[in-house]
Amino acid sequence: MTTQANDVRPVPTAEWVTIPDLFDDPYPIFQRLRAEAPVHWVPAVDRYLIVGYEAAHDVEQDAERFTADEAGSLMKRSMGHSMLRKDDPEHAAERQAYGGVLRPRAIKAHWNAVFEANARVHLDQLKAAGPGADVVSHFAAPYAAENLRLVLGFHNATADDLQRWSQTLIDGTGNYADDPDVWAAAERSSAEVDTAIDEMLAHFRDEPDHTLLSGLADMPMSLEALRANLKMTIGGGLNEPRDAIATTLWALLSHPGQRERVLAGSRWADAFEESIRWVAPIGMYPRQATRDTVLDGLQIPAGARLGVHVGAANRDPAVFADPESYDVDRPKVPHLAFGGGSHFCAGAWVARASVVGVALPQLFAELPELRLDPAAPATIQGWVFRGVTHLPVLWS
Amino acid sequence: MPTVTYHHDGGTADVLDVEPGTSLMRAAVRNGVRGIVGECGGQAMCATCHVYVRDPYLGALPDISEDEEEMLDCTTAPRDADRSRLGCQVVVGPDLDEIEVDVPASQV
Ligand code: FES
Repeated sequence: MTTQANDVRPVPTAEWVTIPDLFDDPYPIFQRLRAEAPVHWVPAVDRYLIVGYEAAHDVEQDAERFTADEAGSLMKRSMGHSMLRKDDPEHAAERQAYGGVLRPRAIKAHWNAVFEANARVHLDQLKAAGPGADVVSHFAAPYAAENLRLVLGFHNATADDLQRWSQTLIDGTGNYADDPDVWAAAERSSAEVDTAIDEMLAHFRDEPDHTLLSGLADMPMSLEALRANLKMTIGGGLNEPRDAIATTLWALLSHPGQRERVLAGSRWADAFEESIRWVAPIGMYPRQATRDTVLDGLQIPAGARLGVHVGAANRDPAVFADPESYDVDRPKVPHLAFGGGSHFCAGAWVARASVVGVALPQLFAELPELRLDPAAPATIQGWVFRGVTHLPVLWS
Repeated sequence: MPTVTYHHDGGTADVLDVEPGTSLMRAAVRNGVRGIVGECGGQAMCATCHVYVRDPYLGALPDISEDEEEMLDCTTAPRDADRSRLGCQVVVGPDLDEIEVDVPASQV
């Protein structure tokens, strides 16, 4: 929404914000920023950081003023130029090529049974690890990895390969500190993924099945775009459901009253949607201003590189009452965790099916006594991507 | 210019004059009509642009595509067998120069 010219303010600068502080806990920083303005120039991250809901929403709905195809993109360097960094109509054509593989009909026909089988296997592994096990590394991560491997059709790789690829490629995408080791690891994974894709495409041309790679095998998409899109999908398709499972669990285990209400009403969808509002697994994504423009009353120059922080927008008190709390009973307002506009998360229904439909209910059905380990607190970190990285749990 | 009427719970309504070729979702979002979200920007992917089309206009609507069909099973407010449509898939123009819809109580 544009404001009258005379109301337009310059964007304030936030010199005091540092990357280590953001990584540790960005939310107090967002609170302080938001109290002053919805957009700040943050030298430490070299971006205009958007922390207000209305500004974030305006940006994602207006690709004319704010392009996804930003210059100097870390994601392009890490994963190649995927559709996530393209605008329509180019983006739409590549998105179209994904077809129905990630949509509800295919999920019902093919993937729900896969998710259920994987949940059983990984719950057994969690139980075998015994009380005190870390639910992230023993359940959430391998479960998300195996689901993704099978949906994408990497029959020539292991779930561990998927985990390594996802983490290293995402680390590259978030490598704001420009660490050379991070780039080297991302490059190794990128080459491995290329090889695996080439092999599987050749296979699926003869023996097609329901997987994403199979569907793409005879699509008119350049190999370069296909490889970049797959890497983007490996990143978003693994770490985000993993983090959503872990954060939702952490939220429920640390809020006994809410856990009780969720369990009593099988309100897994409410628990999940509130969890990704509260701690959005993909916190920030970039956009670039195509012209001088005004965003929620602030003057943005042409070429400005923006960091749209949906994790911050999701805690904007102008939209969410008591936004810092996890509350499954809050009035329903659309959160921005799946993004919006043409880049709305293509995996949203897969995430809901695998997390809401399978992982959460099965975990609590199998381990009704699940509780936090008072001797080993959870760790939660990140600001571009944020999640619970270590969650030791007990059961009787 | 085509006219779209969005009826809300409690008897209020928004009436918009809409450029031909515009979807009910796009017109609503652009004009801040409450209760239409349109998260996915019109890709029949999010089911947050659900509307109930009023009876007199049902005959003038395009067929429901496969994508729309599967999204209509994912709406938050219950699907009506005849009247439920995705606002992003209904476009005003020469074949539809007037339409009235009811906005569901919830989209998320
Ligand atoms: S806007 Fe998303 S389905 Fe219509």
